[in-house]
Amino acid sequence: MDLLHRFALGEIDAFETLVRQFQGEIYAWTVRIVRDPGTAEDLTAETLWRIYRARHRFRPDGNFGAWARRIATNLALDYLRRARPEQSLDTDPAGSVPPDRLVEREMREKIQQAFRRLPPKLQIVATLALVEEVPYDEIAAALGTSVGAVKLRVFRAVRILRKRLTQAGIKP
Amino acid sequence: MKMDEHMDEHNVRQIRDALRQSFPPVNTDLGRDLWPEILRRVDAHKVSVPWYDWVLVGLSAAMFLVFPRLVLVFAYHL
Repeated sequence: MDLLHRFALGEIDAFETLVRQFQGEIYAWTVRIVRDPGTAEDLTAETLWRIYRARHRFRPDGNFGAWARRIATNLALDYLRRARPEQSLDTDPAGSVPPDRLVEREMREKIQQAFRRLPPKLQIVATLALVEEVPYDEIAAALGTSVGAVKLRVFRAVRILRKRLTQAGIKP
Repeated sequence: MKMDEHMDEHNVRQIRDALRQSFPPVNTDLGRDLWPEILRRVDAHKVSVPWYDWVLVGLSAAMFLVFPRLVLVFAYHL
């Protein structure tokens, strides 16, 4: 019996093999969305746990990697919904930055803030498509939607960001 | 229509460049093996049936053997 069948039947050895095979891939996908290593590790562990609990629903003739990525994407989306919009990823204290780079840093922070205020569904698509350059069809598969819907979300995200950055005095 | 599309593509390019400058690349290598943590969760999740539940099952079975018509009463309430 092959690995995926044994996993679907609840064999722990098969699950261990799959975890070791896919944990890196799931983490890489998640950290590109949430952009924080600690959070991405927690979300990856949660994804693997949910995969184990949902093993009876997995069709062994299906694509395990794609299924895992979809679960990871949904969890990352939930995280973005819960995360505070004003959260900043830049941890350098202001004192350690040379004055000539303060303006640049301030602009970067404003862009990050505008980005984090996007609705999570737009934020996730914009991160993957614009920052990470993931192909639209891969994003669509991970979100369980169509390529057209992904393109539409990218354009909506761009329009909102452009408007907010202009309001903040930044010309992108 | 073509003008709109061109504007949209132009906007996308500008915003994409701004975002890339604001979000540095992330390290996508997982730093540790997550299997031990997952295994702990699996072990903790294994269902253990307490002794009093087995007693309850035994008592119910005995009751249905002695009073078989009670099955109908239970079925009605389900």
